Amino acid sequence: MLEYIVPALQHLFTLENFLWINIGVFIGSVFAAIPGLSVILCVILFLPFTYRMTAIPGMMFLLGIYCAGGYGGSVSAILINTPGTPHAAATMMDGHPLSRNGRTKAALKIALYASAFGGVFSALMLLFLGPQVAQIAAQLGTAEYFMVCLFGLTIIAGVSGKSMIKGIIAACIGLLISCIGADPMTSYDRFTFGVPRLYLGLDLAICLIGLFALVEVLAKAEKKPGQLILDSKKMNDNGEITKDEFKRMIRPTILSSIIGVLVGIIPGTGASEASWFSYDRAKAMSKHKEEFGHGSVEGIAAAESANNAVTGATLIPLLTMGIPGDGTVAIMLSALMINGLNPGLSLFTTQGDIMYAIMIGLVFVNLFMLLQGTFLTRLFAKVVSIPQEILTPIIVLFCFAGAYSVNKNYFDVGVALIFAVIAWLLRKLDMPPVPILLGMVLGNMTETNFRRALLISNGSPKIFVSSIYCIIFVILTVLAVATLIRSKMKEAKGETKR
Amino acid sequence: MKKRILSSILALTMAAGLLAGCGGSKTATWTVTCPWAPSGVAAMVSQKAAAMSTDYSENIILVADAIKGDAATVNTWVADTKADDTELVFAGEGLFSITSILDPAKLQFTYDDFMFVENLYSSVFVMSADAKLNIKGIEDLKVYAEGVDEISVAANGATSSEAFLAAALFGSMGFGDKLKITPYSSAAEAAQAVARGETNFAVSHQSQILETYQQGGVTIVCAFDGEDISEGEFAGVEGVGKYGYPYFRNRCFVLARSGTKAETVAELKKLYDDILANDEMSAWLNDTMMLEVDTMSEADVQEHIQNVQDIVNEYYDIVVG
Repeated sequence: MLEYIVPALQHLFTLENFLWINIGVFIGSVFAAIPGLSVILCVILFLPFTYRMTAIPGMMFLLGIYCAGGYGGSVSAILINTPGTPHAAATMMDGHPLSRNGRTKAALKIALYASAFGGVFSALMLLFLGPQVAQIAAQLGTAEYFMVCLFGLTIIAGVSGKSMIKGIIAACIGLLISCIGADPMTSYDRFTFGVPRLYLGLDLAICLIGLFALVEVLAKAEKKPGQLILDSKKMNDNGEITKDEFKRMIRPTILSSIIGVLVGIIPGTGASEASWFSYDRAKAMSKHKEEFGHGSVEGIAAAESANNAVTGATLIPLLTMGIPGDGTVAIMLSALMINGLNPGLSLFTTQGDIMYAIMIGLVFVNLFMLLQGTFLTRLFAKVVSIPQEILTPIIVLFCFAGAYSVNKNYFDVGVALIFAVIAWLLRKLDMPPVPILLGMVLGNMTETNFRRALLISNGSPKIFVSSIYCIIFVILTVLAVATLIRSKMKEAKGETKR
Repeated sequence: MKKRILSSILALTMAAGLLAGCGGSKTATWTVTCPWAPSGVAAMVSQKAAAMSTDYSENIILVADAIKGDAATVNTWVADTKADDTELVFAGEGLFSITSILDPAKLQFTYDDFMFVENLYSSVFVMSADAKLNIKGIEDLKVYAEGVDEISVAANGATSSEAFLAAALFGSMGFGDKLKITPYSSAAEAAQAVARGETNFAVSHQSQILETYQQGGVTIVCAFDGEDISEGEFAGVEGVGKYGYPYFRNRCFVLARSGTKAETVAELKKLYDDILANDEMSAWLNDTMMLEVDTMSEADVQEHIQNVQDIVNEYYDIVVG
């Protein structure tokens, strides 16, 4: 590790990198502050810009967006009781009441400090745990990768929303889409219908533009234009946090950061789960339980530190095994691959200097987020009230430019539009889009490793229990499915009682 | 007032931009499209050559572009260009010799749609073996192949150049029926697979196996070339051609659209030749990329395409099954 630190710092400490970090942090904060504009959408829109960059500035830019998105969502949650991003919903529970009590600036400060701590803690965990996990990952072969993918597919349950069946159907659609293009084992075409541009399959970034970004525009077109009203006078408190409040923040912030890291390492889980779980833990352990829901500093600190602690941890499975920790990180995967960095395998030895530069850079991303948050919070807050009629055309423009720029082909713009219509129809049927994304991300990997493993073993399924890692993932998969069935049964019981 | 100042600045900037475009410069910007990943060998070489183009020509500026898509990208390029357009494209034996036989419907072009400009480099593939097998040369390989029922080889893609080279070697040795090609998504994965013992052998570019070899995970069995490797980390590795086994190198040609003026093509060829003659460029290709500068004539190109096509036709059944 030490031999990579000096070259990594040399790679990282350039004006270009710090500029991109700050641009990313700024854009991420602004996007996340606007309700309806998610971090995932922001990363999708700006991903094509990174194709022209080298790995480090490209990743710094995207990580800036990703981390700042974690904090930015809290701005609107505190100010207007509407979380800018789904994972800021837990922050809203106490952030807005504290704001209503005339302590808006203090609430924003608590959220900022907790976010920055969680982010730095997570980045340090990535720095020190990442390589160790990578060493284990280097021992994983084709069969082990299939088992990891299988475990990853159980996440569908967690992102299915109200109906598991609809989630599974959506995931199957994603798996089917991942089959388009050349068969990974024989190179023969599947579902290409003679369309040359489909020979290599559908580009994930293009599909995502349709699935998550353009569909929002279609959905907005159905609604009456409205404007969120922000009373900026509310931000005139002195923002002071007392010593006692600081003391009370420490324990939930540290504990929630640990929870955030643990949740983030598990592929497919995300910041929302981490923030709610941490909020719940902080409430259970607090001496001032009665304050929760009425402006508790512990509640804000717990939720915010947890959702930002997820950011670095989600990169651990991504960088070491190629398994994205959440949807946003799944998109970052392509930014790495375009720069010839194939996650997993020997990345930490072959490209150690670049990997360590990215990991150390993540610490600086969080520090710059703290800096920008300290001086620009008032500006982020104003963005909350941008009229939709101005914002929407800009998003459409970015979507089309983004889709075109991937392969410089109008065909891809058409693909994005088709996916937007599909996503809109699925929304009408109340089907969640995230399982489609998971199906697309994991589909090709699952199929390739499954078929290749059987080819290696000459058709014997014993290969899937041939190593300790395979067995661990078999157990984890079984446990995940069992937990799922148990929770569904509990839910059903609860409904029957009601 | 502020608005007026801003409008004036904008108008002046636009006017300056327009006037700059009316300079009557004779410089032509040629976009060189590489239909493979921007991080691939060809794209990197193209980028390096483009960066040096202004040092060698006042009339031509090369701009490297990489649009991953293989046949699909070349199809689009052919459809979008005409004679004398300032556009160049890369293509190699993968398209003209392998895809053209295995899946001709994928190609909406033939070699006649292009004019050959230059070949920039050639790469000698090597075959590595799991270090536990202790196979260090062709003779060891023969002994090993005779004593086993199955020979598994990792390759980057099921019908890639690497797969056909493995088929050609074991097929011509008489062990074609024992060969099992295991396709991987990248050359790095294939190299790791043999080091982990998932397969017995892997065929890859020299640079792609170097690190695994240095870590002791693999031995290098042979090179797919006429002679032994003469220099570098793999110096002394036997060339299969010495034993009469078929082989080919990986080459990537720079092509212009057919009908482009012959003198323009000659000027481009000269530019590439000048760049490749640069010591820094050849040292970078040799030392960093483990490639060789390999300028060619039209006849050489035809011979290379035909050689690979012959190999593909002969060993088609082993690879495709």
